[in-house]
Amino acid sequence: MLEVENLDVTYGRTRAVKSVSLTVGEGEIVTVLGANGAGKTSLLRALQGAVRPSGGRIRFNGRDLTAQSPAARVRDGMVLVPEGRQIFVSMTVEENLLMGAYLRKDASVDRDIASIYERFPNLAERRYASASSLSGGEQQMLAIGRALVSRPRLIMLDEPSLGLSPLFVERLFTLLGDLNKDGIGILLVEQNTTMALDIAARGYVLELGTNVLEDTAEALASNTALTEAYLGGHGETATEEPARLA
Amino acid sequence: MLLLQQIINSVMLGSVYVTVAVAFTLTIGILNFLNFTIPTLFMLTGMTGWAIAYWGLPMGLSGPLPWPVALVIGILVAVLASLVVERFTFRYLKTRYGDSTEHAIPLVSSLGFLLVLENLVQIGYGNDSQRFPGPDADLTLNIGGLFVRIPQLVSLLVTVAIVVGLTLLLKRSRIGRGLRAIAENPDAANILGVDTARVVPVVFMLTGLLCGLAGALFAVNYGEVSPFMGEDIGTKAIAGMVIGGLGSIWGAVLGGLVVGLLEMMTVHFFGADTVQVVVWGALLLTLIAYPQGLFGHNSIGKGKL
Ligand SMILES: Nc1ncnc2c1ncn2[C@@H]1O[C@H](COP(=O)(O)OP(=O)(O)O)[C@@H](O)[C@H]1O
Ligand SMILES: [Mg+2]
Repeated sequence: MLEVENLDVTYGRTRAVKSVSLTVGEGEIVTVLGANGAGKTSLLRALQGAVRPSGGRIRFNGRDLTAQSPAARVRDGMVLVPEGRQIFVSMTVEENLLMGAYLRKDASVDRDIASIYERFPNLAERRYASASSLSGGEQQMLAIGRALVSRPRLIMLDEPSLGLSPLFVERLFTLLGDLNKDGIGILLVEQNTTMALDIAARGYVLELGTNVLEDTAEALASNTALTEAYLGGHGETATEEPARLA
Repeated sequence: MLLLQQIINSVMLGSVYVTVAVAFTLTIGILNFLNFTIPTLFMLTGMTGWAIAYWGLPMGLSGPLPWPVALVIGILVAVLASLVVERFTFRYLKTRYGDSTEHAIPLVSSLGFLLVLENLVQIGYGNDSQRFPGPDADLTLNIGGLFVRIPQLVSLLVTVAIVVGLTLLLKRSRIGRGLRAIAENPDAANILGVDTARVVPVVFMLTGLLCGLAGALFAVNYGEVSPFMGEDIGTKAIAGMVIGGLGSIWGAVLGGLVVGLLEMMTVHFFGADTVQVVVWGALLLTLIAYPQGLFGHNSIGKGKL
């Protein structure tokens, strides 16, 4: 479904993503692992069109999207749940969900929003409340709900478990499993290696922008020594907050 | 009774400030940009409206046209001019990934547009004030001894309609949500498919429309237009916006009315020369006592529209 070939992302002199290739099959869960600063966020942002790649190709369902706008990608069924949730705190819960339907012109938006509320009863209770009043976990649910309203074929999530309580992390991964059962493909960027490899079919490991490992999730999970070498304390950014993108 | 009459007059005066202050608020709230072309757009409607009502369309395309037609054309000119300004000054997409000094570019170039357009109008039509051939501005309703001039009453109603309409547009419509999303977090908005390059011109169109309507109301009410008519209104509208609170439409409404009231009272008690001192003094005092303005939330560009 998603085919990425030799993708490069460059900021000035920083090469954040270096010739990364990856695929996500129809309805597959794929994870991308890597320490802070490895280029995971840059990769996802390039896939969604928020940054222009300096090289490589992105194909989705056979269509070349490399030069397309983020809007075109959303229309085609790709959606990103960005790092740090990025919900609109000046809007209500419902307005946030409607933002997910920004490009939709069909009449079933209301029905889809109702089904989001069924999935997340917490959000239903607070539908007219400001999104800023939600807890961190609820905000993450809202960010995912907002993405789902666009009716994606592929949902990309950038460290969704970051900052969540263990209970919400559990719920998050259950949710991802449920979405996958509904046929939605998932590209999951995570620091929670164990849980990500547990749910994913395959995984990639990035180090300083380069794809250094690629295998089935099982193989990666059993190869703990190797994965930890790449995921553990690499570089000076490892202990800092992830770089906030402008 | 006299006081009540003054308050009525000041609300009428304030309603012109309100519309222009709302125009300033819209661009500042959504694009984080103080648009200096706003007073010029206001003036353009007045002056082109006058020119068309007095001389007719340019190049002898028509004789003098009825004043309402002339004003509608004047409003269209303001909207078009605003879109030209967006195209050539704002360049939002280019500044998006730039460093913060690039924020100065739209500001400075909008100032450039202000001066160029104002001077072009002066070259074309001279520096003098012109009498606008509108309806009789002195048609008056007498309500229990209080006088309300009908054109002013109409202006007030139009202003209320503009503000309510704009609020509904921002709160209820898809494009309004898109605008608010860009105001709060352009990046997240983009990711969801809000196309900045398509939405930003909407802001400038609305700005042109608001300024055009305000300019038309001014011409009808005061029966006089000039190449400089935007300057006084512009500064007072900025003061009103800041007093009310940056980035809040209802703040701009309140601030515009406060400035109208201050102006009336100042003229009444101290004479016209002291108006700017009192208005800007009030602004400075407001900023000291309530740094966020009366209605503000200290959230320029943070989507509190
Ligand atoms: N907007 C940006 N401008 C310049 N450098 C950036 C920007 N965003 C990220 N970087 C740099 O690119 C590299 C990869 O960052 P990022 O993609 O955020 O990695 P990760 O998500 O894996 O932590 C880091 O060195 C980071 O400092
Ligand atoms: Mg990251």
